Amino acid sequence: MAVLSISNLTFSYAKTRPTILNTVNLNLESGSFNLLIGPSGSGKSTLFKLMAGLYPEYGGKITAGTIKLNGQSVSTLVPYERAKHIAMLFQNPSRQFAMRTVKEQLIFALENLQLSPQSITDLVTATLHQLGLESFKDRQLLTLSGGEQQRVALATVIAMGSDIILLDEPFANVDQNGRRTLLTDLKNMQITQGKTIFISDHDLTGYQDLVDHLYEVDTVQKNINEINQTRLNSVTRETPVHSKLNAASVFGWHDLSFTAATRTLLTPHSFHLPEGQLGLLSGANGIGKSTLFAALSHQINYQGQVLYKNKASERIRIKQWARIVGLVFQNSTDQFIKLTAQDEISLSHQNTLQPHYWTERRIKSAVRKLHLSEVMDHVSYQLSGGQQKKLQVLSMLIMSQPILLLDEPLAGLDAVSLKNVMELVRRTVIDLNLSSLIISHQRIGVTELIDYELNFANQALTIQGG
Amino acid sequence: MLSERKKQLNATILTVIMLGIGLQIAFSRSVSLNVIVVLICLLYLLYCRTSFKKIFVMLLVAFPLALGSWWSFIMFGTGDTWHSAWIYGTRVYAYLLLGSILTMTVSVKELLISLSIHAKLSETFVYGLLASFNMLSRIRQQFKLIQYSAQMRGKNYRLWQPALYLRIIIVALHWSEDLAEAMSSQGFSEGFPRTRMFNDPLPKWQLGIAIIVLVLHFGAAFLLRPW
Repeated sequence: MAVLSISNLTFSYAKTRPTILNTVNLNLESGSFNLLIGPSGSGKSTLFKLMAGLYPEYGGKITAGTIKLNGQSVSTLVPYERAKHIAMLFQNPSRQFAMRTVKEQLIFALENLQLSPQSITDLVTATLHQLGLESFKDRQLLTLSGGEQQRVALATVIAMGSDIILLDEPFANVDQNGRRTLLTDLKNMQITQGKTIFISDHDLTGYQDLVDHLYEVDTVQKNINEINQTRLNSVTRETPVHSKLNAASVFGWHDLSFTAATRTLLTPHSFHLPEGQLGLLSGANGIGKSTLFAALSHQINYQGQVLYKNKASERIRIKQWARIVGLVFQNSTDQFIKLTAQDEISLSHQNTLQPHYWTERRIKSAVRKLHLSEVMDHVSYQLSGGQQKKLQVLSMLIMSQPILLLDEPLAGLDAVSLKNVMELVRRTVIDLNLSSLIISHQRIGVTELIDYELNFANQALTIQGG
Repeated sequence: MLSERKKQLNATILTVIMLGIGLQIAFSRSVSLNVIVVLICLLYLLYCRTSFKKIFVMLLVAFPLALGSWWSFIMFGTGDTWHSAWIYGTRVYAYLLLGSILTMTVSVKELLISLSIHAKLSETFVYGLLASFNMLSRIRQQFKLIQYSAQMRGKNYRLWQPALYLRIIIVALHWSEDLAEAMSSQGFSEGFPRTRMFNDPLPKWQLGIAIIVLVLHFGAAFLLRPW
């Protein structure tokens, strides 16, 4: 059994940059289930990468203290030795695979460990069976949904036999069902195989009966403390949605349908987005929510019509359409076209469609509300996942297209950030009379600010709680 | 895994032949030899059951290039212009076909792993390249995405604007960082042995074929020197 202990660890990305973690002490009890909570940008990913031995090899500097795996410094271990004991699942599911297919990926990892060819074949089959992924064996990784990709990453780690499994916000792109399945899988592995599980997450739902130790990042002291688990019981229930739709509408679709490869995602459907309201688009992972957004923004081919001001929009040029429909991408970095956070905001300010509303002052206060003031001169890629989300949403809100589609704008946000982002989105939608749809797997703290819910299931869209 | 599929030449042998003959062609001055190389390569492609359509399209696409070389020597050449024109015209096709016996009969993965086994190509290089090949389709997507996200922010990136490519490079750099970390976490270690699940036999007779082909071509090209 592997034992991981951190003592007096202090870390910063560079000598001149501020300290990210200060005198952190942590002993992971082997065979336990642990959860780390803390706001975005507080150093959770950094701590995980340090434990996985990726830092300081890939950046930063340990200025004091040690991280030891079975008494040996983690960073001095050769990766293939380390992987047998400790391995990690990353925030960005799609960027953790070197190979093309599920099977090739598992084989790649096991080849690294220098296992015999026969045992590799056996292990691959056994692991895929264990996680119910047999039918995925030859699927291409890039065509899988975020949740499915995370399950494959988990399969890789399980196959390698790592005792300690680190999961850095693994559910950011996973729906509630997928999340429950993954959590059950993890608990199972803890109990039956004695794995040590360490997850960082913002969403506290579903952890009550799973967690042995709960840790929180102290953002002032910049270290980590174990806290009482009663925090997990204070999880608030979601407010049910009562859909009430405005009659006024400038945007909708008529007999819209589309497919992904050969699979039908939506059968002909018609709907009008109410003006000045914020709708929640819900549905399981991979059901076609993002594809719906791609269709509405003319990024893919579809059948039927997308209507703007009661006219078919298909002949409108994409450059023009981009000023009517605004899309907040699921992946924040896809949205960035400048280098620093300040540049991003300035560009939006310069080109906003609502220059009277988005005054210098309003933008400043929005930046403050989202706690971005401190990082405005940072390169947007170097912001934490949560900060990137907030910057991305704000830069699109400032553009203020009449139709605003937000694809998982709340993924990876802590409770406070989530509330601030939702309030800002809602305020903008109401003030500027925008028609807006939001995809969010996170429902707590969201449903109370929603005017209606559109559920995507069985290749159809239906209004919920009407 | 792949070995039982066919009785083809090993990817490494094909690479050796391609490079060896290719280098010789650069210095040889023989039309008939070039034609022979083209014909032999075509026969090999047919033996490997490459689709006719693919071969046809490839030959068609190269035609303007071959014609251009040929024509420029007819127009501007000195000395035996007809001979030079035909040398350069056929040379284009000889190179094309030499390349195609490799690229059209083996996959990138097969080639890279074969080279790492038989030609000691570093595995870090092999898996880095493989990962980037696997990401090619995503780069293409990303290209469109960047243009679109710029349009939504009131900016237009045209295909000839360097800013567009700068974005792609920044994105790719970040992907590569994430990927490198993930590969380390999955135990990939530079300079350490790995198990090989990929069977890539290289029988001695294939090595013999490569040597014979190279020597024969050398003799013909530089000693016999046919027209």
